[in-house]
Amino acid sequence: MKILSIDTSADETSVAITEGRRVLAKASNSQILEHNKWGGIVPTIAKRAHEEWIDLVIQDALNKLFKNVGVGFSDPDMTGAKTRLAEALAKRARLDSTIESKRAAPLQFIDCIAVTQGPGLAIALEVGIKKAKELAEKYHKKLIAVNHLAGHIYSCFVQNREGKPAKDIKFPYLAMIISGGHTEFVVFKKHLEFETIGETLDDAAGEALDKAAKLLGLGYPGGPVIERLASMAGNKDFHEFPRPMLKSNDLNFSFSGLKTSFYYFLKKRETSEVKQLASSFQEAVFDTLIYKTEKAIRQTGINRLIVGGGVTANLYLRKKFRDLVKSYKGSVIFPPYKYLTGDNAAMIGVAAYYHAKKGIFVKDISSLDRVPRLSLQSY
Amino acid sequence: MKIIAYKANNKRLIQDTITILKKGGLIVSPSDTVYGLLGDATSDLAVGKSIEFKSRPAGKAISVFVSSLKMLQEYVEVSEKQKSLLNQFLPGPFTIILPAKHKTSLLLESEDGTLGVRIPNYDFIIKLVSEYGKPITATSANLSGDNPHYSVESLMNSLSEKKKELIDLIIDSGKLPRYKPSTVIDLTTSELKIIRQGDISVGKQNHFFSYSSEETKAIAKNIYQQIIKKINNQPLFIVLEGELGVGKTIFVKGLAEELKIENIISPTFVVSYEYPLVKKPFDKFVHYDLYNIKELPELEHLGIEEYLKGNNVIAFEWGEKMGNLLERLKSKGKVVYIKMKYLNEIKREIIVNY
Repeated sequence: MKILSIDTSADETSVAITEGRRVLAKASNSQILEHNKWGGIVPTIAKRAHEEWIDLVIQDALNKLFKNVGVGFSDPDMTGAKTRLAEALAKRARLDSTIESKRAAPLQFIDCIAVTQGPGLAIALEVGIKKAKELAEKYHKKLIAVNHLAGHIYSCFVQNREGKPAKDIKFPYLAMIISGGHTEFVVFKKHLEFETIGETLDDAAGEALDKAAKLLGLGYPGGPVIERLASMAGNKDFHEFPRPMLKSNDLNFSFSGLKTSFYYFLKKRETSEVKQLASSFQEAVFDTLIYKTEKAIRQTGINRLIVGGGVTANLYLRKKFRDLVKSYKGSVIFPPYKYLTGDNAAMIGVAAYYHAKKGIFVKDISSLDRVPRLSLQSY
Repeated sequence: MKIIAYKANNKRLIQDTITILKKGGLIVSPSDTVYGLLGDATSDLAVGKSIEFKSRPAGKAISVFVSSLKMLQEYVEVSEKQKSLLNQFLPGPFTIILPAKHKTSLLLESEDGTLGVRIPNYDFIIKLVSEYGKPITATSANLSGDNPHYSVESLMNSLSEKKKELIDLIIDSGKLPRYKPSTVIDLTTSELKIIRQGDISVGKQNHFFSYSSEETKAIAKNIYQQIIKKINNQPLFIVLEGELGVGKTIFVKGLAEELKIENIISPTFVVSYEYPLVKKPFDKFVHYDLYNIKELPELEHLGIEEYLKGNNVIAFEWGEKMGNLLERLKSKGKVVYIKMKYLNEIKREIIVNY
C-alpha cells in the first residue's frame, strides 16, 4: 500500500511516499531561509510559503517516486525545482497549468493520502489539510489524519527504500519526544496505543536550549551552537544550575525555572565564559531528561526506549541515553536518519500505515479540521 | 585540474594556490571540518564559479575565511560586546553571520546584506589567507543539499566532468576525520529590540504580590472573574509584559484554567497555539508569544487579524513588543494590561490595568 503523506505543522513543507515502513520518495521545502531573519517561525509567512510550495513539493515527491521505483514517469522541467528558489518561482505560472494534468497519472499508484492534523501552528496545519482533502476527494483516495507526536514516535522505525534498518518492532516501548515544541514520555503499548505519562508543563527542552543561546547572544536556532560550544568545554558542568522538577514525584518537566535562574545568573555577572555557560546549561537540561527517564524506566518497568524529536540530533545526548539503558540492560532507538529528527512527512506516512492496517480512516473528509493542541490518543 | 598531496609548512603549495586565486580559479582544500572550495572572495568570477559548482540556490549566502579577528572586522560589522564573545570561540568550527561591509563579492551576501565569516582552526588556511591578504570563500566542496566530503576520492566520484572542469587545483590530504561541518551562529538576530511601547490608558489599577506560581495562577483567576462580569459579549485581550522567567506563562495557565483549558504549554516555538472552548461566551482561546519578534512589520504576519474577527480570548506574552497592535486591540474589544516584575527569587509584583 502506497501512502502519500503531507506535513505542514510548522516551517517545513514536507511530502513523502511510503510503503509500510519504507520511504519510496520524499521532498520538502524548508523555510529556514525565509524565517532566519526573524529569528523563528513567522505564522503568516509560514502559511504563505506552504501554500506556494505544496504543489511543487508533492510533484517533486511523485517525480522521485517514479525515478526511484522506475514506473517510467518523469518531468524534466521540475528537476531542481526545490533547490533553485528564484527559477522555480518564475516557472510556477507555467507549471501550474501542467501540474494538474500530470498529477493524475502518478496518483493512480497511490492508495491513500495522509496528513498531519496537529499539534502545530493552526494556520500552517490547515494548508496541508486542505490539500490532502482536495487530493482525497478529487482522486477518490482514503484519507488518514495523523497526530504529529505519533509521527515522531514512529520516526524511529522509518526505513529507507531498501528497508534499512531492518529492526523489528517489539512492544512495549517507553517513547520520548524531545523537540523545540514538545517534551513527553509515552508508553507505546501496541501500534497506535499510547499512554502519555509525563510532559512539559511549560517550555520544551529544545526551546530552553534556544532561549539559553539567545541569552548568550548566539542567535537562533540555539541547539546546534550550544552542542558545539559544550563539547569544546568538555561537556562539563561548571555552574550547577538547578535541575527542575527532580524532586517532584511525577514524570513531568518544567524548564521554565531553569531558564529563569539562567537569566538572573547572567544578569548578575560582568563577564561570561560562553563555553562553560553553554555546557553547564546543556548539562542541566540533559541531566533532567536522563534523571526523569530513569524514573520512567523504574516506574514502568520498560527498559526499551525510543527517542525522537529535533533534540536527538545532539550526539552527546544520544550517548547519555545509551549509557543509561546499558545500566538497565535495555536498548534505545533513535531516528535512523538525520532528517527524521526534525519535522518530516515520512514519519507521518509510516504512522499512517498502521492506521490503514487497523482500518482507521477519516470518515467524513469534508469535515476534517486542524487541531493545534491535539494530544496523543489511542485507537 | 591538478592534484597535489598536502604537506604541512609547504611554502610552495601556498604560492601555487595564491597564483590560482589571483586568476579567479577554484581550489579544493582540506580544512578543520570538511573539504572546502576556495576562491578569491572579492572576485565575482571566482564566486560565480563556486555558485555554479555547488548549484547553490539564489539568495543563499556563502561564507568566507578570514585569518584573524582583526581581518574579520574589516569585512563585517562587529560590536564591542560581540567581539569579546567571538574571542571566546574563534578560531573554531563556527560560521558567524554579521552585517556585511560589502567589501567582498556581493554574490556572497544574503538577501538582507549579511555575510558569514569563518576563522578556521587550520594552519594551512590561516597562512594562506593572511599571505593572500583577502578573504577566501569557505563553502564546502559538495553540491548544495548533498552530504559534505571527507575524502577527495568521494568528492571526485560525485562530480560530473563539467563540474570537474571548474576546479583548478585539488589539495589532497587523504581522509579527514569525520568532524561535522561548521555550526552557524547568526549574530544579526540576537539583539533583543524593544518596540515602542503602546500607551496604556489607566482605568482601574490593581497591585498584587505573588510568592509562588500557585499564587500567580490564583491572581489570574481572580482577575478573569472580575473582568468577565464587566464585559458584555466582547472579545477579551490579555497583554502581558515582563522579563524572561517572571511567570507570564504561569499567569496564562491560571487564566486558561478558568476557561476549562488544562493543557497550556509555551507557544514560543510556533508563536501561537489556539484552543477550542466549550465554555461560552467565547469561541476560542488563543495564546501568542511575541518573544521572537524583532521588527514591527513582523506583527502583521502573525495571523492575528483572523482571530480578531471572532469573539475570542487572546493572551499575548511579551506585550512590550506589540507597538501599534495595542491600538488595534483596543478598537476591537476589552484590553487587560498585566505588568509583571521580578522583585526577588520568590517574589513577583503583578500590576493589572483595565
